[in-house]
Amino acid sequence: MTVVIGFEGSANKIGIGIIRDGEVLSNPRRTYITPPGQGFLPSETARHHRAVILTVLQEALEQAGLKPADVDCVAYTKGPGMGAPLVTVALVARTVAQLWGKPLLGVNHCIGHIEMGRLITHADNPTVLYVSGGNTQVIAYSERRYRIFGETIDIAVGNCLDRFARVIKISNDPSPGYNIEQMAKKGSQYVELPYTVKGMDVSFSGILSYIEEAAHKMLESGQCTAEDLCFSLQETLFSMLVEITERAMAHCGSQEVLIVGGVGCNLRLQEMMGVMCKERGAKLFATDERFCIDNGAMIAQAGWEMFRSGHTRWKNDET
Amino acid sequence: MAAPSSGDTNHESGKHEFALDIPFPSSREAVIALQSLSPDREPRKGGISKQLSVSGSKLSVRWSADEARILRVSVASFLDHLSLVVETMVMFGPPVSQ
Repeated sequence: MTVVIGFEGSANKIGIGIIRDGEVLSNPRRTYITPPGQGFLPSETARHHRAVILTVLQEALEQAGLKPADVDCVAYTKGPGMGAPLVTVALVARTVAQLWGKPLLGVNHCIGHIEMGRLITHADNPTVLYVSGGNTQVIAYSERRYRIFGETIDIAVGNCLDRFARVIKISNDPSPGYNIEQMAKKGSQYVELPYTVKGMDVSFSGILSYIEEAAHKMLESGQCTAEDLCFSLQETLFSMLVEITERAMAHCGSQEVLIVGGVGCNLRLQEMMGVMCKERGAKLFATDERFCIDNGAMIAQAGWEMFRSGHTRWKNDET
Repeated sequence: MAAPSSGDTNHESGKHEFALDIPFPSSREAVIALQSLSPDREPRKGGISKQLSVSGSKLSVRWSADEARILRVSVASFLDHLSLVVETMVMFGPPVSQ
């Protein structure tokens, strides 16, 4: 039996999770939510995490019914992500690893998402679409490494959605993307937006500039509603993602798609991807908000994989 | 935990210097703090350098900076990080026997 505790805090979510041989024993999480119209900055985010991290750690142990002695390994997000919050989490992980005398593993955040997706869905060898506020990549596993087949050449799709949410000042609670999704359901008019797929990659910053300007003009003149813009933005962004995923699948001869990352919670994206998969006779895998959105258990799971394959040396380098 | 410290301008090098000595209950705990706090580089690449070391059960930090405000930011940030490490040690310590 191998028990791993994972610490995650690379963006505005701080989560600590415990996994024992593929079973999630606990996975508490807190989200730093800013007022409508505001994004989250590194120093404030770090302050939020610092205020709650020890409480969340206590919860993780209590909910799992474990004592520190029961843990075999401590895993934490080494990167990528925002520097200040990552350091806050690394400090606690390093300290408890030493206090409890356990090996410490630095985990790649993106791989955490993928390993959790594979664990929960039992997808065998999928083409992975990793979409969140900070990342947009199409990934497949080839010759002992995860490799990027397509990605955004500028901002992540979640970043595009979050920043549009700020322009129309919708609530960030529980997340801007969730609220865009709900508003999109009430949209009835399709507003044409730029469609920017570049070969196997995508670009979103032009679409963002376009829709920010369009929002000011069209909402003022009453040409369309905010709901129409949310609907149009989702349809455009998600079509682009489906296209590059399909391109990678064709390249790799893959029959499985796994969507991970916070934007993967979006049911419209899952629906559109499902249509493409059905046309190709492929299977679609997705997880729910417990595991799509950044969480500690996904870091524990990636750490478990690393620990079991022999990464047990303490590597105390910078985060 | 008292933290006697001193700051000064080194008139020869023109650099601003600051020294902090933090006593811990044991040498082991001072080393744990050192290992937790030393890996991360200063976010600012130039104009500041920081050295951490342990002697007995005391953690020592020495700063050297080109400007007073850079020094202030680094020291404030370090104290934040130090307090988090100490709080963690209080809540989840003492260290297991080796």
